[in-house]
Amino acid sequence: MKSALKWDVIAKCGTTKARAAVLTLPHGPVNAPVFMPVGTQGTLKGITPEQIEGLGCQIMLNNTYHLGLRPGQELLDTCGGAHVFQGWNRNLLTDSGGFQMVSLLKLAEITEKGVQFESPHDGSLMLLTPEHSMSLQNSIGADIMMQLDDVVSSLTTGPRVEEAMWRSIRWLDRCIKAHKKPESQNLFAIIQGGLDPAMRKQCIEEMVKRDTPGYAIGGLSGGEEKDKFWRVVSQCTDLMPREKPIYCMGVGYAEDLVVCVALGVDMFDCVFPTRTARFGNALTATGTLSLRQAKYKDDFRPIEEGCDCIACKSYTRAYLYTIVTKETVGCHLISIHNTAYQLRLMRQVRESIIEDRFPQFIHKFFKDLFVEKSAYPEWAVNALKSVNVDLIQGEEQP
Amino acid sequence: MPPLTFNIIRQSTQRTAARRGTLVMTQAATATANTNNSTIAVTTSATTSSTNANGNAHEHNHVADNKEPIKRVIETPGCFMHTVKGTVPHLTPDTMRLQGFGGVHVSIEQLLQDHQPGGFDKWPFTLSKFLNLQDMILLCDLRDPSRYVKVPVNSDRYVAIKTHKGVRQLTLEEYLKIIRAYQPDIVAAMADQITDADASAPGTGRGSVSDGEAEAEVQGSPSSRPGLNRVKRSVDRSLRWLDQILLDRQGMDAFVADRAAEEAKRRKMKKTSSTQSHDSTQGVDTLTQETQKLDLVTRNTTKVAPRIPWPGVSMFAHVLGSHVEQERIRSAQETARREAVDGFIVDTNPLQGSSKETILNLLKVSLDHLPAEKPRMVYGLQAPEDVLKSIALGADLFDTSYPFHLTADGKASLYSFGSNNNFNNSITNINNSPTPGEATTNRWINLWDDEHANKFVPLLEGCGCYACKGGRHTRAYINHLLKAHEMLATVLLMSHNMYQYSKFFANVRQSIQDGTFEQYSASFVEQFGSEPERTGEIHAAQAIVEAALSKRSRLDGSNSNSASTGRSSRNGDSNSDCEGEQGAMSKEEKAEARRKLKEQERFERRERNRMEGLKRKKEKQQTIANIRELEETPEP
Repeated sequence: MKSALKWDVIAKCGTTKARAAVLTLPHGPVNAPVFMPVGTQGTLKGITPEQIEGLGCQIMLNNTYHLGLRPGQELLDTCGGAHVFQGWNRNLLTDSGGFQMVSLLKLAEITEKGVQFESPHDGSLMLLTPEHSMSLQNSIGADIMMQLDDVVSSLTTGPRVEEAMWRSIRWLDRCIKAHKKPESQNLFAIIQGGLDPAMRKQCIEEMVKRDTPGYAIGGLSGGEEKDKFWRVVSQCTDLMPREKPIYCMGVGYAEDLVVCVALGVDMFDCVFPTRTARFGNALTATGTLSLRQAKYKDDFRPIEEGCDCIACKSYTRAYLYTIVTKETVGCHLISIHNTAYQLRLMRQVRESIIEDRFPQFIHKFFKDLFVEKSAYPEWAVNALKSVNVDLIQGEEQP
Repeated sequence: MPPLTFNIIRQSTQRTAARRGTLVMTQAATATANTNNSTIAVTTSATTSSTNANGNAHEHNHVADNKEPIKRVIETPGCFMHTVKGTVPHLTPDTMRLQGFGGVHVSIEQLLQDHQPGGFDKWPFTLSKFLNLQDMILLCDLRDPSRYVKVPVNSDRYVAIKTHKGVRQLTLEEYLKIIRAYQPDIVAAMADQITDADASAPGTGRGSVSDGEAEAEVQGSPSSRPGLNRVKRSVDRSLRWLDQILLDRQGMDAFVADRAAEEAKRRKMKKTSSTQSHDSTQGVDTLTQETQKLDLVTRNTTKVAPRIPWPGVSMFAHVLGSHVEQERIRSAQETARREAVDGFIVDTNPLQGSSKETILNLLKVSLDHLPAEKPRMVYGLQAPEDVLKSIALGADLFDTSYPFHLTADGKASLYSFGSNNNFNNSITNINNSPTPGEATTNRWINLWDDEHANKFVPLLEGCGCYACKGGRHTRAYINHLLKAHEMLATVLLMSHNMYQYSKFFANVRQSIQDGTFEQYSASFVEQFGSEPERTGEIHAAQAIVEAALSKRSRLDGSNSNSASTGRSSRNGDSNSDCEGEQGAMSKEEKAEARRKLKEQERFERRERNRMEGLKRKKEKQQTIANIRELEETPEP
């Protein structure tokens, strides 16, 4: 099908499956691997668009389901789409609303036709079909739009997983057919198939035939065992076309990002950095600081030495301790810091790939975060071993 | 040269006491310079406004390494930014510096929640540095000027302060310890503001009853007002504290008299106790007396040990007197006699409940008896027309609680002062929301109103604030953000309201310069009427959103509500601020939401019981079937 993007791989890691690329979208270039912050309702949790730009963010997420409820399609059409609506002139990616099948399961009913949601606002019913999702996403005008998929929790087993996989393929066909602006918006297919390698394989084979501009690995990050998670990711990146961007949905913990990049993933999104910020948790290279704790009361250091975000440049942990979870500004500042942290991490990953020292970066990253090798998560050690990086035996090179 | 100077540039030539001036803080560059932090300020404060509208200069920022003294300026009439816990509500430091204010007001009572004065030994900063506000003039006071909170009565030794953990008593010693640690640019002397009188509930005339002293009612005043003795004591006590603080600032022992009194009291007690217990415990008694004497000597030596003066901190003094004119005059005159006082604060918050006219008259009484050459700050009169009236009486400084309150209500300012640069825009908006008072133009719009949902225009056409600039954010978007319970709503509204407030003051200053202040003031009131009283009511749309949120958080656990952590804690704060102020409508709606929740709970419980009942029934049937099966199986 038609594509409105350009995918230029500029460097490949000599050891792992990692690669650095430039993804050129209608609203400008995106340096991959990339972490995309999530602004579900057309705003990134109190951070102004100018501040997000200042952090070097090139692409942000919105959610179709939420924007479809509010402000609604009519208003989006009137103002000319979500970019204009939220004053954001860089790239947007919209999730189709499929994930809400899982997160709002109690409010959703799934049939071949589509998903019926009960609005949490007023109890009214909304039927999200592939056609409706496409129509909404065309109104939103996102640079990348996701197909409506039949998402089942990654903990589900049995025939429901296979049903969801085949339905996702059928829905992809309906999405492609309903997509009105393939020349200015990119539709990504979402690989389903649970934790079953055979089903994943089948799904990829079918979806690759549809030749969408990019592919996402869906149905993960739902609390499944990490050891199964990485195997699915790795299998998918092996089978997916290498000349297109690969997006792993809902992944956002730092160690997950680093491992998945090594496994060949290019794009990520997660609400975690901004959500955890609202509870006063700040992310750093050496772990998370829970700034609500009284031990930070007399800690006059910045959150993270060397971080150039406004929170670190302006305030100490001691001051942040007094305002986190109490003042909105506390929220904003930690959200800004955490977003800055995620984006910086991806920039460092990317640079190390370009300079062909990604394995060394991985060693240092794990050492900084977990200190002791005994504390390294086993799944990460195994995953990295599969791409020739031995965290335990191998040594960090200067 | 003292660090703080106040220069009157122009005195209104007309009937009023309005004047234009500058409050300038000069300090050696080394005292506060911090390269890192001041660079932040430079980059963000440079772009403030196109005109000379925001007059607050930031020229001091660049001088981290040259030896020029740092100058920070607030042009008057002007404002200190109101803060909560040392931060301007909703605004991160970069956005905060776009508003065009040169000063910050920090309330010690809010910081005391987290930082006990005992913990100041390790304190490595000035408060300015801790809050990253070195480019601003920082004024520290005990109380929050944005509101009036009733607290238990103060005593000669302490003022009462409400904290999360209950009421605490802050002594003068502790207060001085805090000031020495914080080293703000300006400090308001600890004062016995009458916060114990219940001004809004008649019939509870008390105040110092709990102090155990007789009260004499002021002739003709409502019984809710503090009695004359309480007022007198408030004035006396505050003057005594002021003298002690001024002594301490010079590095002198401020507590000689206190200790002498204490000793006398102890001696007296000792006397009585020893006469009472003369026969049996005399030996022990003399011994304890000796030890106490010794103790007193050592205590004296430690207390009298040379104290470091803190001349870098300028002093503002509260002028008190409540409703009693004579006492207001006495307080003003006596305070003014203290040459070391650099400026005055008149807090009208405790006068709440009286008519605006009464409050302004009492303000006038105070201001008329203060020296003209020193700056006067006013708390509690923040709506634009009240500010204008206060300026006409000779007030110079205010705080930004007004835009803060507008923002909390979801409102965006449309008012403007002077040569009507926003006038036409306002006129076009006339049909957009109900007209307050008899105004011909709206002073604000409420973004909760549904009619803004499809208005893809800025809050105010031509406004240079962060939210409106370049048409980046529209009314429709902010309406969406409010309804989606997203925190960016208050960020944008606060940016706009703060900017407009700052612009209002800039235009006022210009009009004083041009001699048009009186004329424009009159037309302002004509055009915009007066601010309707803030009832604490929640907008209907907001009530719906909040009901839905509580429903959703019940549905999917506490996590989804996390979206609003900061916001709801803020709301929680202001709710507790104005207890009993909640309007009837919001109460009803809250009750309705509660009722729905209960209903749902009941329904869920019923469902659960039913399911469990079914399960039990099934199990029972199964057991019966099993037994039957057993029974029917012929025994071997």
